[in-house]
Amino acid sequence: MFKKFEKAVLNGVQSKSQRKFILIGTVVALILSVMMIPTELVLAKMLPGKNNDTYNIYIKLPDGSSIEQTTSVSNCVASVMQKEKDVKNLEVFLGMGSPLDFAGLIKGSHFKNSENVAELVVNLTKKDERKEPSYMMVQRLRPVVLKACQPIVPQSDISFVEPPAGPPTLAAIVAEIYGDNPDGIRVLSTKIENIFKKTQGLVDVDTMEDTIYSTFDIKVDAEKAARSGIAIKQINDIMYLAFEGMDIAVKNSAKYNDQIPIFLSLSNDTKKFTKKDLDAIQSKLSSLKLMNKYGMMVPITELISVIPTQSHPAIMSKDLHQMTNVMAETDMVSQVYPLIDARATILKELANDYEITKTGLFDLELKNKKDSEIYQLKWDGEMKVTLDTFRDLGGAFIAALILIFLLMVIYYKSYTLSGIILAGSFLSIIGVIVGHWIMNLFTADTFFLTATSLIGFIALIGISSRNSLLLIDFTKSLMYDKAMPKAEAIAYATATRAKPIFLTAVAIILASTLLAGDAVFGGLGVSLIFGTIAAVIASLMVVPILLYNADLERHFQFHEKKAVSITDPL
Amino acid sequence: MKQQPYVPKDIAGKLAKAFIRNPLTLVLGVFLFALGYLSLEVMPREENPQMVVSGSTVIVALPGATAEEVERIIVKPLERKLKEVKGVEHIYGRAMDNVGIVNAAFFIGQNKEDSNLKIYDKIMQNSNMFPKGAMNPVIKPLDIDVDIPIVSVAFYSNDKNMSETDLYDHVKTMQHYINGLPNVAVTDLKGGHKHQFNIEVDINKLSGYNLSLGQISQAVQSLAYNVPNIKNRTQDNKIVILGVKNAVQTIDDVGNIMIAEYMGSPIYLKQVATVTDGYNYQNFQSAQISIETQEHSFTPMQNQVTLTVSKLQGTNAVVISDSVKEELSKYKDMLSKSGINYVITRNDGERANDAVNELVMHLVISIIIIAVLLIFVLGWRESLIVTFTVPAILAITLFVAYITGQTINRITLFAFLLSLGLLVDAAIIVIENIHRHYHSVDSAHKDKDELMIEATDEIGAPTNIATLAIIMTMVPMAFVGQMMGQFMKPIPANVPVALIASLFVAYIFTPYLAVRILKRPKHDEEHK
Repeated sequence: MFKKFEKAVLNGVQSKSQRKFILIGTVVALILSVMMIPTELVLAKMLPGKNNDTYNIYIKLPDGSSIEQTTSVSNCVASVMQKEKDVKNLEVFLGMGSPLDFAGLIKGSHFKNSENVAELVVNLTKKDERKEPSYMMVQRLRPVVLKACQPIVPQSDISFVEPPAGPPTLAAIVAEIYGDNPDGIRVLSTKIENIFKKTQGLVDVDTMEDTIYSTFDIKVDAEKAARSGIAIKQINDIMYLAFEGMDIAVKNSAKYNDQIPIFLSLSNDTKKFTKKDLDAIQSKLSSLKLMNKYGMMVPITELISVIPTQSHPAIMSKDLHQMTNVMAETDMVSQVYPLIDARATILKELANDYEITKTGLFDLELKNKKDSEIYQLKWDGEMKVTLDTFRDLGGAFIAALILIFLLMVIYYKSYTLSGIILAGSFLSIIGVIVGHWIMNLFTADTFFLTATSLIGFIALIGISSRNSLLLIDFTKSLMYDKAMPKAEAIAYATATRAKPIFLTAVAIILASTLLAGDAVFGGLGVSLIFGTIAAVIASLMVVPILLYNADLERHFQFHEKKAVSITDPL
Repeated sequence: MKQQPYVPKDIAGKLAKAFIRNPLTLVLGVFLFALGYLSLEVMPREENPQMVVSGSTVIVALPGATAEEVERIIVKPLERKLKEVKGVEHIYGRAMDNVGIVNAAFFIGQNKEDSNLKIYDKIMQNSNMFPKGAMNPVIKPLDIDVDIPIVSVAFYSNDKNMSETDLYDHVKTMQHYINGLPNVAVTDLKGGHKHQFNIEVDINKLSGYNLSLGQISQAVQSLAYNVPNIKNRTQDNKIVILGVKNAVQTIDDVGNIMIAEYMGSPIYLKQVATVTDGYNYQNFQSAQISIETQEHSFTPMQNQVTLTVSKLQGTNAVVISDSVKEELSKYKDMLSKSGINYVITRNDGERANDAVNELVMHLVISIIIIAVLLIFVLGWRESLIVTFTVPAILAITLFVAYITGQTINRITLFAFLLSLGLLVDAAIIVIENIHRHYHSVDSAHKDKDELMIEATDEIGAPTNIATLAIIMTMVPMAFVGQMMGQFMKPIPANVPVALIASLFVAYIFTPYLAVRILKRPKHDEEHK
C-alpha cells in the first residue's frame, strides 16, 4: 500500500498538470472555506451555552412597587416552574438577591435590597438524568413565563440568568449611552431599548435606569415650628416611628442568639393610607401629634405642608462620564449578528432625529438635530469581551506563526523551507472552518465557531508543522546520506512518514472526539479533528509539491554536492 | 561482529543511552506515578479556574441629599480620586437619594490584596473630601472566594405551628457549628426573621387619649434599660454586687408600662397598642422554598432560611462541602426532632468533583482508545509501551501544576485532553522508528541496545524542533488578556509542560521498555 502511495506521489510531483491541479484546488478550497465566515454559513460566538444543573430568574418590578406586588409576580413564575418535571427544588428570595454566584457578582445581585426585586433559584436534576439541556429549557420557558406573569404588574422585567460557560459579563449585549444631558440620555436609551425589543434574537431587554414615580415632599413651616417649640428632627422621628417603625430599646436574652429589640410602630391596619393621594396622606397625618417642650400637644399637620413631586432617579456614570446601560440577552444565538442588525436599525430609524457618525469598529456618535447635544453609543458586555478575545487570540495566532517561522529559519537556515512549513500548517484552517460547518449541519442547535475553536486552530499550526518537518527532515537525510534524486526522495519520504503522520493524526482525532461532545470545548475538539484531517492531507499532498518546486539542494546547503540531481530541472 | 559503539548526537540518544541499562529508571517510573497520583488526590478541585478579579466598592451616605446633590458633592470627587489609583480599569458611579456608590474595578489579574490596600489608602488619605453630614465611607473589597458561597443549605419547618423566629434561631445555632469547620471562611443567613417585641400602636386610640408616639417611646426607653452591675464592699472588705435588672423581662412587662396619666388614672401601653412577642415583620426580605415530592408535584411555597458557606482561598471545595454535609447529618436527628428539615441547594464541591471525575474518565477512555488503535497498527507490545508513557507524562504535568499552585478544574483537564493527542506523538515517533529499525534487515547484525539508542537519536532533532514548534504556538496564548485570558490560562500553563515531559518520557522510558518488551523478528522470514 505504501509502495502504491509512493508511486502516486512520485507521479504527482513530476507531472506538471497534477501539480497545478492540486495547488489551484488548495487555493480555491482555502478561499471558499474562509468565505464561509462573512457569508454567515459558520457563525462565530465567544462561548456556546452550557448545560447547567441550575439557573436563576431575576424579577424586577418598576421602582416604587411593594413587596406584596413582587410576591404576586414571583408566585406566578414559581407556579409555572412547578409544572416542570426536571425541577428538583425552587427557591424564592424576596427583596434581595439569591446566594451569590459568578453571574450575580457581575450583575450586582448582592446589592439588591428593595421591595421591587426578587430572585428565583431553579435547581434541576443532574444533567445526565434529564433529556433537555438547561439552555433549551430556558428558551422554551421564557415566553411562557413572560406571557403569564409579566402582565400582573406592567413594566416588570423577568429575566433568566444562566451560569455562564466562561467568564461572566453584565449581559450578552450592552449599549452604553454617554452624554451630558440626563433627560436626553433617557429619551435615547428608551429608543434603543425599543429597537432591541424588535430585534430578532434579543430577549430580556432592560435599561439600567430607575423609573420615575410620584412621591411627596413634606415641607416644614419653619416659623410655626419655631413658635411651637418643635425641631425638624422631632417631626421626622415621629413620622419615621409611625410609618416605618424603629427599635426603641433592646432586651438581652439568654435563650436566643440575638438581643431582642423592642420595636415601635403604628399598627398595620391603622397606618395604611387609604389612597396614594394628597388628601389621604393629610388626613392620616392629622392624627399624629407631637409634644413640645412645654408639654403641649401639637398636631403635625399644623406645622407642615405636603407637596406632590417626583422621585429622583439614580445617576450612573462610568469612567467619570454620565451613562446609561441598555442590556439584552441573546436567545440561543450568537450576540454578534443581533448586534449588527440592531446597529443597522439604529442607523436607519434614528437618522431622522440624530446625526449619526460611526466611531471605532461598531460604536456610534449621535448628535441630536434639535439641540445639538452629542451622545456616544459604545458596546460592552459579552460582545466587547468577544471582540477583545478574538483580537487577542488572533494576535496570539500571528505571534505563533512568526515564532514557528523563526524557529524553522534557525533550524533550516532557509526562508523557503520555513515558508513551506508555514503554508502547510496554515492550510489546516480549511479543515477547521469546514468542520464547524459540517457539525452545524448535524447538531440541533447552532454549532458556533468559538474562542476554543481558535485555541484549537493555534495548537494545530504546531501539530501540522510537525508533520511537514518530519517529512522535510527525512527527505533531506535521504538526499544527503543515500544520494537519492529529489523526486524519489520526496516520494519515498512521504510514503514512509505517512505511517507515523497517520498514527499521530488518528491519536489526536481520537483524543479529541470526547472533547467534541462538550458544550464549551466542542469547538476545540472539532477544530482538532477536522483541522488534523486537513493538515494530514496538506502535508501528504501539498507539501511534497511545494518541496518539489523548491530548489532543495540549495536550501539543504549541499555544498559538497554529495547528491546529484538527475531529475528534470524545474 | 563487534562494531564501534554508536555515539549519540542529540539529547534524545544521550538520554536513551544513560537510562537504558540504569536500574534507577524503574524507580524513577514508580516515583513519577506516585507523585502524579498524590497530586491528583491532594490538589484542590474546582469547577472553573480561579480568576484574580480585584475591585472595591466605596459607599458614602449623605442623609437628606437628592441624587443630583450626591452626584456633585460625593460621587464626582470620589471618582476623580479613585482615578488616581494605578491599575484601575473602570470606575462606575451611582448617585441615588441619600447615598453615593463608587466602584473601582481593577484590570484582571491585578493582585487582590495590593488593590484593596490602594483603594483603602486613597480614601483614608482624602477622608476630608467628604461633605459635612456625610457618614463615614464604607469600603467593601470584592473577594470572589469569600463572597461566592460554595454550599447553600435551605432549612424549612414541617411543623406549621413553628414560629418564624424559632426556625431562624435554630439555623443560627447550626451556623455556628458549620463556621467552626476547617477552612470555612464566611457563613451567612438569608431569609428568616429575628425575634422581636412588637408594639403596634392604634392611631385612633392615640388621638383619643391625646398621646404622642414620642411619649410612648420615652416611657419604654426609660424602663427597658440595661446597666452594668454595681460593686461595693462590706466593712470586712468582702465584695457585694448589686445588679439593677432591666424592668422588661417578659412581653407582659412591656404591655404594663405606664405611658401617661389621663384624668388621674394611669394609661398602660397595652391599652393603646397591641403588644406581641413576635418577629421583625418590618423586614420585607424573605426566602421561600418549594420541593419536588415523588410524584412530580411540589410542596407549596413555604418560608425557609438559607445558610451559605464560603471557603478560604486555595482550599479544596470538595473537602469542605463534604465536611459541611457530614456536620449537617450529625445534627439531622436533632433538627428533625424540632420539626426542621433541610435540603442542600448548592454544592459546588460536588459539582467540581463530578466535573473533574467525568473528565478524568474521558482521559482514561481516550487513552484506552489510542492504545487499542496502536495494537492494530504497531502490535500490542509497542502499544503497551506508548500507553505507559501517557500516565507518566500526565503525572509529571500534574505534579508541576501542583507545585505551581494551580487547581484541578475543567480547563486544566481540557488542557490535558488537548495535549493527549500531542503527547503520544513523541512516543509514537520513537517507537515507530525503533520498530522500523528492529524489523529492517540492514540492522539485523546490530546490538539491541545500540539499535535502540540509534533509533531514538535519529529522530531526536526533528522531534525536538517539532515539539518546540507546538510549545511556541502555546506561548502567545499566555499573553491573552481580560477575563478570557485568565479563564484559559491553564492551557498555556500546562500544555507546554506536558509536551516537554512527553519528550523526556519518550527518550528515557520508550527505549528502556522497548529493549525489554519488544521481540526481535528472525530475519530469515519476512516481517508481517
